[in-house]
Amino acid sequence: MRRWIMTAFASLWLVGCGEQAWQTKDISGLMPPLAFELVDENGNTVNAERFLGKSTLLFFGFTHCPDVCPTTLARLDAATQRMDEAARDDIQVLFVSVDPRRDDPETLRTYTDAFGPRFIGLTGDKEALEELTRRYRVTYGYGEEDSNGNYDVSHSSAVFAFNDQGEARLLIRDSDPMEAMVADLERLAGDT
Amino acid sequence: MSLTPLARLPRMARPWCGIFLLLIGTSGTLSAAELKVNEARLRLLPGDLPAAGYFILVNPSETNITLTGADSPAFGNVMMHRTVNQDGVTRMQPVAQIELAAGEQIEFAPGGYHLMLMKRTRSLAIGDDIEVTLFFANGQQQSITFRAVSPTIQ
Ligand SMILES: [Cu+2]
Repeated sequence: MRRWIMTAFASLWLVGCGEQAWQTKDISGLMPPLAFELVDENGNTVNAERFLGKSTLLFFGFTHCPDVCPTTLARLDAATQRMDEAARDDIQVLFVSVDPRRDDPETLRTYTDAFGPRFIGLTGDKEALEELTRRYRVTYGYGEEDSNGNYDVSHSSAVFAFNDQGEARLLIRDSDPMEAMVADLERLAGDT
Repeated sequence: MSLTPLARLPRMARPWCGIFLLLIGTSGTLSAAELKVNEARLRLLPGDLPAAGYFILVNPSETNITLTGADSPAFGNVMMHRTVNQDGVTRMQPVAQIELAAGEQIEFAPGGYHLMLMKRTRSLAIGDDIEVTLFFANGQQQSITFRAVSPTIQ
């Protein structure tokens, strides 16, 4: 009998009472904690500590990106809209522009405002951006300028998620289903 | 189309109006019946940031056609693009033309083909109807009305 109880407890522990698996990619311990020094939407220098206390989603992009960036931000918006209110308020999205030449603080502010108050625009000089992108092992690059002066910027399509202590937790990809994102963001919001 | 406006016209004008409407109807079916466009929407970003145009183009006809570009009076520059994702890095490629076989359809959708519309010629707002013309290799043109939508619409 005692043995049976032990087995029952062991299996309950294994299936994880409370500790269910993440549904998007778990990067805990694989990526360094959130750290940067960038320029915010008001032109002020800010560092990562300023954003601790809330769960942070980090995405690299540029405002002249008509397709992927708005699609990703809209998906994040849709996911947070589906969370309960308390959990939702724990989420902030940092949109880091890797195109500082066109994305001045003013452009960034108008852009992120279009997605809602949870979205915060940041950028920096080449050095700051290279340091941050290297830290999370992502790349970006500039395409050729056309006759109108327009150019494409290649960038990572993934979203990095950090808990409220700034510890790396998840890599969310375009291909992850909405349900998986919502479940993981809710869990992230409760993660301390 | 409702016949009510016709009924309100003076009696003398009615036959002429009827013929006129008939002519419009006929010329419309002759030039535009070949292709169908569904879900045409234009995702508008603030300021003069480039917008993305999405739609589904259906070719129910029995001939293959080739889409070669687009134009809009509301924008100075419209390009066909495709988003490609390679090893987690995303970028856009210009697309010169897209073949559309008889009976097939092609989807311009987030993360794939899109029209990239740049340099607004007038101010645009969410909810506006925006005219876009598609060009085909055989010289055919097709006008589409895109509805401007918020960037948070997926
Ligand atoms: Cu594009």
